[in-house]
Amino acid sequence: MTQTKSAVEFKQATLGNGLTVIAEVNPEARSVALGYFCKTGSRDESPEVAGVSHFLEHMLFKGSATRDALGVNLEFDQMGAQYNAYTSEENTVYYGAVLPEFAPRLLELWTDLMRPALRQEDFDTEKQVILEEIALYEDRPNVMLFDWGRAQYFAGHPLGHSVLGTTRSITALTRAQMADYLARRYVPGNLVLTLAGRVDWERTLEQVAQLTAGWPKGEAPRAYPEVKARVGELREPYPKATQTYLAVLAPGVSAQDPRRYAASILANILGEEGNSRLHWALTDRGLVESVGAGVDEADRAGLFYIYAQTHPVNEEAVKGVIREELGRLEREGVRPEELERAKNKLATALVFAGETPMQRLMSMGLGYIYNQTYEPLSEIARKVEAVTTADVNALLEEKPFSRAFYYSLVPA
Amino acid sequence: MAVAQVETLPNGLTLAVEERPWNPGVAMQLLVPVGAVNDPEGMEGAASLLEGWLWKGAGSRDARALADAFDDLGVRRGSSSALEHTTFAAQFLADKLPAVLSLYADVLMRPHLRAEALEAVRQIALQELASLEDQPPKKMFTALRRTVFASPHGRNPSGQKAHLESLSAEALQADFARRYAPRGAILALVGGVRFESVREAVWSALGEWKGEGAGYPAVELRPAQAIHLEQDSAQVQIGLIYPDISFDHPEFYSARLAAQVLSGGSSSRLFTEVREKRGLVYSVYAAPNGVKGYSYLTAYAGTTPERADETLEVLQAEIARLSEGVTEEELERTKVGLRAALVMQDESSRSRAASIARDLYLLGRVRTLEEIEAQIAAVDGPRINRYLAANPYRNPWVATLGPRKLVGAE
Repeated sequence: MTQTKSAVEFKQATLGNGLTVIAEVNPEARSVALGYFCKTGSRDESPEVAGVSHFLEHMLFKGSATRDALGVNLEFDQMGAQYNAYTSEENTVYYGAVLPEFAPRLLELWTDLMRPALRQEDFDTEKQVILEEIALYEDRPNVMLFDWGRAQYFAGHPLGHSVLGTTRSITALTRAQMADYLARRYVPGNLVLTLAGRVDWERTLEQVAQLTAGWPKGEAPRAYPEVKARVGELREPYPKATQTYLAVLAPGVSAQDPRRYAASILANILGEEGNSRLHWALTDRGLVESVGAGVDEADRAGLFYIYAQTHPVNEEAVKGVIREELGRLEREGVRPEELERAKNKLATALVFAGETPMQRLMSMGLGYIYNQTYEPLSEIARKVEAVTTADVNALLEEKPFSRAFYYSLVPA
Repeated sequence: MAVAQVETLPNGLTLAVEERPWNPGVAMQLLVPVGAVNDPEGMEGAASLLEGWLWKGAGSRDARALADAFDDLGVRRGSSSALEHTTFAAQFLADKLPAVLSLYADVLMRPHLRAEALEAVRQIALQELASLEDQPPKKMFTALRRTVFASPHGRNPSGQKAHLESLSAEALQADFARRYAPRGAILALVGGVRFESVREAVWSALGEWKGEGAGYPAVELRPAQAIHLEQDSAQVQIGLIYPDISFDHPEFYSARLAAQVLSGGSSSRLFTEVREKRGLVYSVYAAPNGVKGYSYLTAYAGTTPERADETLEVLQAEIARLSEGVTEEELERTKVGLRAALVMQDESSRSRAASIARDLYLLGRVRTLEEIEAQIAAVDGPRINRYLAANPYRNPWVATLGPRKLVGAE
């Protein structure tokens, strides 16, 4: 159900143990979404435990001191929960949605799982699943493109760490290393419990305070080394590719940067499917199978990216066109009518972004992790509307695309 | 709970509207009965080419002006051609409806389809077809469906290389004139609009749209068999297709619940036996699937070569074991899960518009949430087990892709 301004209310509390709880309460919603956002990911890993964040995310579902793996799966299904988890370079997110009567039970389950048992037998079985997941992506050059491209671009900076890790790092990983990582990273000060939809706020607070009363306080630091991004070009042959896959990575704005609305609009003008600079220069001419552009707004760092997939014979032509378009963009800036069109589409997207508690959960939880603030959709809409051509062109004046890195996977 | 109002207009277009007056937006789903199944013989890929070509200019606008006009109205849109339909999906603000419909009317009735614009469309289609090689699961399923169907339902929606290369602008223009028609097309709108005013706007924009369309071929099956595609992949792809009962069968919900027990959640049998207990795969599932006139159960697993034989064996054994019945406990949680999924899907106007259109295509009417809930509630343990004993899943078509053939796939 779409939000009406009056109905939606934001709530926030920090418990005695340091755990932050936030909620966007919408009494008109028909479901409740809730989950834990842990500020940890592959950028917080040392090389010898590469992939541990993601492997640990899998291990949480294997149960706690009082629950086994099959029991956990059974409980989620008994509630009819729509749930999952994901791990990125910076965050590990556990989320689920249920009908309101099951919300307290879902909250109890997630909270218990934040203290997993990490049984050796489960660890060994799940290691096989992770190795299968790595093998799965090996067969998909469009996925490996970004994994390997980021590693090259960030040139040793932790943001270039692979989320999955490698067959070698996962094979060597021990249960003790994972337990150590868990103890350091899954501390109350590094977690945000987020809820959205038909939430009973008072009851939630009371319940979570009780459930986490025994959690010891703790903070988890994160290192912020300077990004010294790679510039230039790298082509790598890949035997599993028959097409050419190209990623262009360039310095962008961070998740904390107030210019991020302008950056999103810039990416839209550059690479939105159906009507953008790259669409007309490449897709409309049949030079690519697909092309797109976007932003990755990370913790105190960020990037613009372009993705293109093409037949190998087009590789040089495609790179040439992209260079030309990026050069033109930096020289001439964007036009007012391009800005207006991008804003119109974003305005429509924001209307639909409020429909389900699950959508709100994601946007709210991540927003809070990065900025410790809550932005209602109406506020985001206002900020998008306020972006001017001068704002977008100011980003271009820093010449981000003149410092771009072109990474391609080509048939071997 | 709103109910969709449905009316077939005099030109054959079926219109469905679910009013959500609190919603400032509208989600649109338009199915046009143009897909790979009714691509003319020797023109496989025509539906895909037409879909791309339509956007190269329509009415008084060239390609750019057309895209700009949609953007000026703040329309978020997507379109694609598949096996049975070409789908046009859009979201926009409710007050833009008449203007948006008039743009779609240009695209559907007055596209330029100029020969000089076709080459770029053809190049994209050829690249899309070639990229199948880099997507092993999709490649395997494409081959599997070709093994199941003797009729055009086994075609690759991306077309055939030789046909894509040789199709002429004239042949495609003639095909467009014949197949792009309101008869059999379905337009579903969900959001802050009123049925009466929508009907008026639709009639004003699309009332002149005429044509009977191409209809659909009958489904013809091949005998069950196993095929193998040799590829030096890291994982072996395993796909199975089992015959299932149709969408309008009285025991449809028994079959749907059984599929959920098999693969509906992480406590389902496949996930538990193949992934959780044995760690054989990252991905394993079974899902009800089908085309109009033939329903089937698709099963999938991806695993590394040395574990592939065991994976196939466990997968087939679990599916066969369904005929022995499900427990009351399994049935109970499956019902809870289906009901929750329905309610949550319904919260999104986009997914509601898509399911209304799909219901109208497959059933000729729109099911309400209440109706589905009642049907699910009516399936009890004895009934589903009677059904499963009488209708075991067996004799699948099997496809594998990987470095070597599997023993159990014979």
